[in-house]
Amino acid sequence: MNKTLKTASSDNEHEGASELAPLFKPPREKFLSLRGTVNSTQSIFLGFIGVISLFAFWEISHHLTPEHQQKFLPSVTQVTSKLYYLFTEKGYIVDVAKSVYRIYLSFFVACLVAIPLGVLMGSFIKMRALFNPTVGGLRYLPAASFVPLLLVYLGPTDSAKMALLFLGCVFFLVALILDNIEAVPRALIESAQTMGASRFHIVFRVTFRSAAPQILDSMRNMIAVSWTYLVIAEIVAATDGIGAVMMRGARFLHVDVIMGGILTIGVLGVLTDVSFRIAAHFLFPHTRARR
Amino acid sequence: MSLLKKNYHSDRQKALKAGQKEGKFPLAVNRVRKEYLNGERIAVDDMSLNIREHEVTAMIGPSGCGKTTILRLMAGLEFPTRGNVESFGLPIDGPAPERGLVFQAYTSFPWLTVIENVQHGVAIQGYSKVEQRERAEHYLELVHLTDFANAYPDELSGGMKQRVAIARALAQDPNILLLDEPFGALDAQVTWEMEEMVVEICEDTDKTIVLVTHDIQEAIYLADRIIFFTRQPGRIKEDISMEFKKGRRFKKKEDLLTEPGYVEMEKHLYTLMREEIQGPLS
Ligand SMILES: Nc1ncnc2c1ncn2[C@@H]1O[C@H](COP(=O)(O)OP(=O)(O)O)[C@@H](O)[C@H]1O
Ligand SMILES: [Mg+2]
Repeated sequence: MNKTLKTASSDNEHEGASELAPLFKPPREKFLSLRGTVNSTQSIFLGFIGVISLFAFWEISHHLTPEHQQKFLPSVTQVTSKLYYLFTEKGYIVDVAKSVYRIYLSFFVACLVAIPLGVLMGSFIKMRALFNPTVGGLRYLPAASFVPLLLVYLGPTDSAKMALLFLGCVFFLVALILDNIEAVPRALIESAQTMGASRFHIVFRVTFRSAAPQILDSMRNMIAVSWTYLVIAEIVAATDGIGAVMMRGARFLHVDVIMGGILTIGVLGVLTDVSFRIAAHFLFPHTRARR
Repeated sequence: MSLLKKNYHSDRQKALKAGQKEGKFPLAVNRVRKEYLNGERIAVDDMSLNIREHEVTAMIGPSGCGKTTILRLMAGLEFPTRGNVESFGLPIDGPAPERGLVFQAYTSFPWLTVIENVQHGVAIQGYSKVEQRERAEHYLELVHLTDFANAYPDELSGGMKQRVAIARALAQDPNILLLDEPFGALDAQVTWEMEEMVVEICEDTDKTIVLVTHDIQEAIYLADRIIFFTRQPGRIKEDISMEFKKGRRFKKKEDLLTEPGYVEMEKHLYTLMREEIQGPLS
């Protein structure tokens, strides 16, 4: 038996490294191969095509519109030049800054409430029993239904607008964070217990830490919802902010201003999303390998 | 409050030491019954069992016979419906670092590197930073993971993850190491390596170990004593001493195979297992 093994290996040596078996070329991956692969160049390229097509669709629609109605569907260039005009002549940047400030501050306060509450409810079943029926129910109230109430309480102030943005996301945020905390494997908590970790240690250093990447993801998704409430919030006695500019545009049938506002919100939303992703990349290096 | 807790811990440690000196058992299961689903399911019934110090005790039996249940009772993660579990004469009142547990599921903290994981367990015990590092390094060496100290658990194979878990449990310096099918999810060759590593650890640390397994060969190879469980409700079917090994530990698993008495032992355990698998469910 030993002999046959030897001859087999020496046969291989005779063939030499240069005469390898011919390579079988696997078929090229189809464009729509199931769960296929995509490299970063391709995905940037494809994403770019998506954006271009949207603008192309918009531009073509503009040109297909009868001339006397074209002002209701301005072209891409008309909107962008209007935006340029707003920024340079009308101090639009102040409105944008105001909106960003409102979103971020209200969202920050929502997180200050939702994260501790969600962690508390997810860690202690009795806390969950105490809060969940209330928080769960409040989720079903449309935030817009608070507008009249907020106007009575706070008047046409900044606080009223931020309160609306806060109410629009806080209950959902609690529910999402509760889910994130509850998804932490029981074995992780139990193994910390067998190490002698205190409850305090487990809640903050194990459960919260373990759910942190998912919590940041929930925040990323909820701040998107905040952006969607922005215009509703700023309609309330519109004075400043992107929403107010858009409402003023509506009053004078300046569709280009309205569409410019939509475009601004879209761009800011994407920037917010990207900054959350970048934060996750640096805060949670252990999740990089899996992505 | 933390002061009170410290006192409680040091008092308990003293009592445990005293119990150990008096020759009390590291773990004593006294007429324990454990019910689930409000008594609808009896996982373990009327079980009495003393675990002896410095011995490796394997608990084996068909799936669902209550092996994990009894281990969780020993760890203090659950409490018996009837009867009690004691450690060195003290009732077990909850999980504690003196009883380290390795789960079948991977329980390394994914946000910490391998060495940080081991250090984390040590840190809870209140060691200084330098000691933490030293202990972590020592136990990583024991499980042959020094080269992967700075990797994240998600970058490791299943076997390596379990080695992290074992190192972490050892580093908290337990009296008793509880292992719940720690190699259940690993392939045969990795399991084999891990078993031989456990033998090394036994030699180096002389720990009291309770090992839950469903693998007959593994039980014979690692244990000084095998407790065979009946199926539902779990009771002790047989308490078998591995006398044929004459107290020796085998560095290589294959050396055991030619040992007189090994084949008979394996056959005996297979017979017991067949009886349990084919027997009626009560
Ligand atoms: N938390 C639980 N709730 C309900 N039944 C359980 C629970 N834990 C275990 N059991 C039941 O108790 C029995 C013993 O389970 P277990 O100790 O996990 O068995 P083993 O580890 O030997 O496979 C099984 O029938 C199982 O379904
Ligand atoms: Mg089990």
